[in-house]
Amino acid sequence: MEVVQMQRRFVEYAASLFREGFLDGQFTQLQQLQDESNPDFVVEVVSLFFEDSEKLLNDLSRALDQQNVDFKRVDSHVHQLKGSSSSIGAQRVKNACIAFRNYCEEQNTDACLSCLQQVKQEYSLVKSKLETLFRVSARSLLLKDKTNLESGFQTSFSKSDC
Amino acid sequence: MGFGKATSSSKAMKIIETEKKISVLIVEDDPLIQKIHKVMMTKFGTEVQVVANGKEAVDLYHSGASFDLILMDFEMPIMDGFEATKELRSMGVTSMIVGVTSRSQDSEIQAFMKSGLNACYVKPLNAEKVTTVLNELKNN
Repeated sequence: MEVVQMQRRFVEYAASLFREGFLDGQFTQLQQLQDESNPDFVVEVVSLFFEDSEKLLNDLSRALDQQNVDFKRVDSHVHQLKGSSSSIGAQRVKNACIAFRNYCEEQNTDACLSCLQQVKQEYSLVKSKLETLFRVSARSLLLKDKTNLESGFQTSFSKSDC
Repeated sequence: MGFGKATSSSKAMKIIETEKKISVLIVEDDPLIQKIHKVMMTKFGTEVQVVANGKEAVDLYHSGASFDLILMDFEMPIMDGFEATKELRSMGVTSMIVGVTSRSQDSEIQAFMKSGLNACYVKPLNAEKVTTVLNELKNN
């Protein structure tokens, strides 16, 4: 019973992330790629995304802090972040990056700084939501394993020749 | 499918042919995209190899390797997708080369196509795009 409730909680939470635009169809593509041969695929890919993004956000802060801002460099970092967020389905981060790139073209430092804040906020939000999603998923799997283990033990015990 | 009855030997050959996996070379510098595309292509039953830039792809072909399909990223260090595709075509490589780029403007895609691509898709790849590419490959 508990397992079903946990699983339902996972499904509902995931659905809310799609509804609120945090995730898009690309995330579903990743979920579909996960199987027995790649059981941790989604977590691995998302972890890579977290690592990449944190580095890029630091690079962006540094680049925009320079006396003479190199907008080409800034644009290149944003382009990369747009690419990786889009590849994992982090829709709101991707959209924030698209807006950011327009201001890079205009070479508007203040607007870029404001965009950077926006991107950081969206990233922080999606990160915390994905971490919650994985926690809920892990707990439902643990419960499922625990239930299977208990029922399997009972079955084998009753079948064994004494 | 209405091709008439095959003899036992050609039937055997057909079985062998369908068992041979399509070989794919992923040319991509971003480890995150490398991972996603590799798993995606493997899931579709292809044999996948990954290199991190255009020069590594060209070197592979120089060393005698060959692939049915190359998925070529555009922006890469050392040698980008445009230069690598041009080089491969000038070497006489006839493998299907499909561009995969984050650049979404028509003009940018057309420019990349001029290097000798068979097709070009905007990242990220998904099941639908992969299916289209593999069907085109099987039909040629």
